[in-house]
Amino acid sequence: MQTPVELKNALPEHRPAPKIKLSRGILNVLLSIYGFVTLYPLVWLFLSAFKSNPEFYEFPFGLPKEWHLENFADAWNVARMGVSFKNSFIVTIVALILTLVFGAMAAFVLSRFKFRGKVAAMGLFLLGMLIPIHSTLVPLFIMMKKIHLLDTYGALIFPYTAFELSLAIFVTIAYMSSIPKEMEEAALIDGTGYWGFFFRVMLPLSAPALATVGILAFLRFWNDFAFALVFISKPALQTLPLSLSMFATGYMTDYRLTFAALSLAVIPTIVVYLLFQEQVMKGMVAGAVKG
Amino acid sequence: MTAKARIRGVIIVGLLPALLIFCFFVIVPIIWSAWYGFYDWKGIGAMKFIGFGNYAEIIQDPVFAKSLRNNLIVVAASVFGQVPIALALALVLRQSTLYQRIIRSVVFLPMVLSSVVIGIIWGYIYHPQIGILNSLLDWIGLGTWKQAWLSNPSISMYMLAIPIIWNFIGPYMIMYIAALQNIPSEIEDASAIDGAKPMRMLFSIRIPMIWDTIKVTIVLCISGSLKTFDLIYVMTGGGPAHSTELLASYMYNNTFSIYRFGYGSAISTSIIIISMVLIAGSQLLMRRNTR
Repeated sequence: MQTPVELKNALPEHRPAPKIKLSRGILNVLLSIYGFVTLYPLVWLFLSAFKSNPEFYEFPFGLPKEWHLENFADAWNVARMGVSFKNSFIVTIVALILTLVFGAMAAFVLSRFKFRGKVAAMGLFLLGMLIPIHSTLVPLFIMMKKIHLLDTYGALIFPYTAFELSLAIFVTIAYMSSIPKEMEEAALIDGTGYWGFFFRVMLPLSAPALATVGILAFLRFWNDFAFALVFISKPALQTLPLSLSMFATGYMTDYRLTFAALSLAVIPTIVVYLLFQEQVMKGMVAGAVKG
Repeated sequence: MTAKARIRGVIIVGLLPALLIFCFFVIVPIIWSAWYGFYDWKGIGAMKFIGFGNYAEIIQDPVFAKSLRNNLIVVAASVFGQVPIALALALVLRQSTLYQRIIRSVVFLPMVLSSVVIGIIWGYIYHPQIGILNSLLDWIGLGTWKQAWLSNPSISMYMLAIPIIWNFIGPYMIMYIAALQNIPSEIEDASAIDGAKPMRMLFSIRIPMIWDTIKVTIVLCISGSLKTFDLIYVMTGGGPAHSTELLASYMYNNTFSIYRFGYGSAISTSIIIISMVLIAGSQLLMRRNTR
């Protein structure tokens, strides 16, 4: 066996090749370790969800000796996850639809027409990306209390939609602006009208942009904690992150229940992520650059 | 004439829903927040106008100063932790082999989890009795290093910075990969032919060429750190003795725990101002460096 150094001396003209291969190998090992360390908290979460309480305490690492599937059912019942899943689902879906519909309509108008006040409207939406969300918590709370919106689905749906509109509009405008003007003229000559053109041409063609916006919005609404914490106090209206946060204060010593509940809660987001990885990554970056 | 009126109708119908919901739930609350900041108010009862009284108190408030300092620790951890790690990962994960794509997905994964889930997982990792960090130390024979990671005020803030770094490396990495892929290959080839070593290539070519992206990520580090709230709320609630208090959590505690709505509003407004000042300052600093 020749070591890389000997090889180098023996074959001076091919010097770089083995060195690159070797360092690539070391690099891949390092990357695998990094990947494992990054992933480990999550793997540990899922494995712990199958353990019993004493086993979790005694053997924090490694596979469960017995796979306690009933943990999930217990967690589901004890934490009343059915209710919070339903609430999260309703709030997320309705806010998602409002964001996509209103966002696409506004983007259509802003990308296709010239009019007075357009710059002002764009500036206003841009402002929405620069404002830290938390700075609106206090006045929103007071305002919603006055109009009796607190402790309703609307208390989450409307703020979610409002804060996501900025990003939705800017991502969609960028996309719609690239659709050629000729298509609009053709559609108008065919007599479809502006809204016909919007629904039959613009919306289908903007599907990739809307998909990106939709996936990002889904993740943000599904994961939100701050708004739910402040605007929802009725247990019957708690969303998933809110009911999970109760574990942090209440049940945290019942490890198996906490881990099973957390696992159940993250499964939808992980599934969405695995299905739409590329779009999630691109979208987050688009969102990050502007926000 | 009728065509013009029709376009006008389209503009109004298209823009109005988005604009209304956005102004009502984003713009109006910001203005109100600044307004409430001038009052002494408990959320109910009479509002007493005290001018800049709240702001004067903020300047002298030691806990506010502590929160700001903690926020700056998070900024530093992001800038000097996330940026170099993300850049290093981007450099070695630039190609799109299957292996590289898998590692990229893993690095990005924490981004799609709810911060409540992340907070609870890391709460367990740091747990003094059952935490895997202490178990790990025992296992590798460093049992004397074991401690209550989150309740030791001299280290708790740094311990909290670790999950924050872990959480947000992914999007920065993706942004750097995109920027690196935009460098024309002729430039890299030419410098390679000229005999540039990898380090020289990195500092003289790659980093200057992606400098704009780096600037954007530093802005994101700043604005992101000022938004940090969920993780702190779940893991420490800002304690012990305000040692992990951040501006957002201090705002929340003042408003919704001790009902100082006026003071909380003034803190909200301060967060916006501090965020804008830090962002502008960092941009000026980096502009000078490139010249």
